[in-house]
Amino acid sequence: MSERNAQPGIRHKLAERLFHWVMAAAVIVLLATALLPILGIRFGWVPIHWTTGVVLSAAVLFHIFRAVFVNRLADMVPGPTDLREAGRVVLGRPTNDLRPAKYDAFQKGFHTAAAVTVLALVATGLTMLYKIDTSFWRRDPAVLSDATWGYIYVIHGAASLVLLFLVILHIYFAILPEHRAFLRAMIAGRGPGLARGDKH
Amino acid sequence: MQLLRYTQDVFGRKMLVGVNWDLLWIPVAAAGVLIALHLILRLRRRPG
Repeated sequence: MSERNAQPGIRHKLAERLFHWVMAAAVIVLLATALLPILGIRFGWVPIHWTTGVVLSAAVLFHIFRAVFVNRLADMVPGPTDLREAGRVVLGRPTNDLRPAKYDAFQKGFHTAAAVTVLALVATGLTMLYKIDTSFWRRDPAVLSDATWGYIYVIHGAASLVLLFLVILHIYFAILPEHRAFLRAMIAGRGPGLARGDKH
Repeated sequence: MQLLRYTQDVFGRKMLVGVNWDLLWIPVAAAGVLIALHLILRLRRRPG
């Protein structure tokens, strides 16, 4: 395992596991509070949505700090070897001669897509806090023009649709028997050190 | 099908308000198609 401060046999440290499950819970609450009212289930969704959004934003900041200063960011950044791996898997060709890696091409690809989507949601969501009154601040929608608010709503809504797609796929791939070891590692920590080059 | 939703401001001008939520089925259907394709590939490549 190439991760900094790696512990033998531990794939995901406690901090990373906590982040993952806090993010998972937050994303489920955020999607439910955003989409259920659209489907006709009416309730006071705004306070739950924005407070959970703030929790997700704090969790994402924590994760970025850990990724840059504690773990190895490079482990998760897709590169040419990942493109080769993805191509070979799709064509049904062997990948065992490729450089071993903690995360395989598909894990890195999913993470990149999720990162871009969640960062777009966090940035637009935090901006939208200007539109609501809370105990901490007064609403001030005049900070942006109506046209700019329109673009912010479009980015937030489109990113939420992409996130829904990613969440469904993530749950499906996580529960496949051949990926069970990675799911167990995200719960208990112990798991395969490598996703590519050391097939369990 | 419209991709975006618009309303009119107090001056009657067209104002963008977000994505069209009638598109909500698309990510669900897209994920379903991808999962089905993966299951088919997985079954075909299963040894034995």
